[in-house]
Amino acid sequence: MQKKIFIIEDDKTLCNELSILLEKQGYLTEKPKDFETLPNQMLSSDADLFLLDITLPGQNGEFLLRDFRSRRDTPVIMLTSRTEELDEVLSMSYGADDYITKPYNPTLLLLRISAVLKRSSKGTSASHTYRGVEVSTLKGSLLLNGREEVLTKNEMIIFNLLFEKQGEIVSRDELMTVLWDNDEFLNDNALSVNISRLRSKLAELGLPDAIETRKKQGYVLK
Amino acid sequence: MKPKEYLKDHIVTYLVRSCCVLAAIIFLLAFKAQSSLIFVLCFIALISFLVTDIYEYRRKKDFYNKLVLSLKELDKKYLLPAMLEEPSFYEGRLLCDILSECDKSMLENVSDYKRQSKEFREYIEMWVHEAKLPVASLTLMSKNAGDNNEKMSRELKRIDDYIENVLYYARSESPMKDYIIKETSIKKAFNACAMKNRETLQHTGASIQTEGLDAQVMTDAKWLEFIFGQLISNSIKYADDKRPLVIRVSADKSGTDTILKFKDNGIGIAAADLPYIFNKSYTGRNGRKDAKSTGMGLYIVSSLLERLGHKISVSSEEGKYTEFTIIFTENNYYSELRQ
Repeated sequence: MQKKIFIIEDDKTLCNELSILLEKQGYLTEKPKDFETLPNQMLSSDADLFLLDITLPGQNGEFLLRDFRSRRDTPVIMLTSRTEELDEVLSMSYGADDYITKPYNPTLLLLRISAVLKRSSKGTSASHTYRGVEVSTLKGSLLLNGREEVLTKNEMIIFNLLFEKQGEIVSRDELMTVLWDNDEFLNDNALSVNISRLRSKLAELGLPDAIETRKKQGYVLK
Repeated sequence: MKPKEYLKDHIVTYLVRSCCVLAAIIFLLAFKAQSSLIFVLCFIALISFLVTDIYEYRRKKDFYNKLVLSLKELDKKYLLPAMLEEPSFYEGRLLCDILSECDKSMLENVSDYKRQSKEFREYIEMWVHEAKLPVASLTLMSKNAGDNNEKMSRELKRIDDYIENVLYYARSESPMKDYIIKETSIKKAFNACAMKNRETLQHTGASIQTEGLDAQVMTDAKWLEFIFGQLISNSIKYADDKRPLVIRVSADKSGTDTILKFKDNGIGIAAADLPYIFNKSYTGRNGRKDAKSTGMGLYIVSSLLERLGHKISVSSEEGKYTEFTIIFTENNYYSELRQ
């Protein structure tokens, strides 16, 4: 099912670019009709997630968030160009699920959105078997017919991302963003090394062609 | 007040008095007055002079000595008029009035500047907020256009960095307390900053090693993030072409202090430049080679750290490494609050 994201941003250009970005990723988007009746629009919307700017015409996103939070618990990600610690502290204490400063890295923004959505819809996690291989994120290993291949933290992060988007191209940029977001500061060479190690571990389990390289685009898990 | 100086200052009075007394004696001698009468008159004159002079001297001495002492002890000299006690003599009262008038006018002047600087600060904050919107739009447009244009996003990152510099320069110069000191994870601040610089770091082929960054320190997270950003951008700017850049960030507890080290294997800093690198507009030898250097980055870093109450120092060997050390002192007030 397609998830719907409500974008509350008063800069029209930015708002449009955001909705293009999200729609390209398969999300539905909704924009506010006007800013006066925003609280009601938010309450009556069926969106799965809200992107909320802090500085809006005539109102403050933080107070909007607080009022909204007291009635509904749909995830909210705050977007802001203000870089004051106070804003972040306030937003988080008013119940924001994440806080991102402009100009955001688009890959990171998408990553955070999908992470927040995943957190809010827990229990619907997809099956943890990939072509008969049991994926254990907790143990950090792949299991097939009693044969176990232990993955390093980096390999597990890479495999999980490819697995989540099975059949789609995952760019090196996306992989890097996820790795760095998990405090693993790999450089280009290290990423290549990790991928080839992951490949050989999958080959050990009898899946030598699992990860396909798409030149200049990225990788696909078949 | 020194008695000798006081006497010197009143030399005219004494001369005139002596002349008068001398003239009186000559006059009395001319009228053949008795020498005992002359002697008594002279004595009375002398006594009256002495008594009035000592009285005057003491009165002034008390007032001025107190004034000089207060001035010496005052940390902020301009507060002197507030410390004044109205003296009993006329000149002193006049001085008091003049001083407090000056003080009032100076305070008005200062508050004018304060207001101006506050307005300017607010304008900068607003401007930065506005300027970031088109940068954010452009970043998204570049991504939406589908061409994974690294060059473009690197340039956008540069614009964003310059914008941040203006903001933090204004913050570091402003007398307003606009930071929040709270328990902050060094790791979180560093990682957020590394993520922001990921593309540039990857482009230069840099590797990052971290150790012990789980430590919590009392600081403003956003300011710390900016400081990391400056250090990273310096490391990239002054990397050695002969070897790949390695940045090593580590934190260590030492007693109640947390010591953060930020080391790179870049071209280093000449020993002659080292003591001045935190000075405003100082570019040094490295800076002159690189036209992009403004000499502001490290100045802003050090003044932000000073305002937060942390200490920064640097050590370097030319051609080998540069290492910055930041010391976060455990603040007793805050640690008590937490208990």
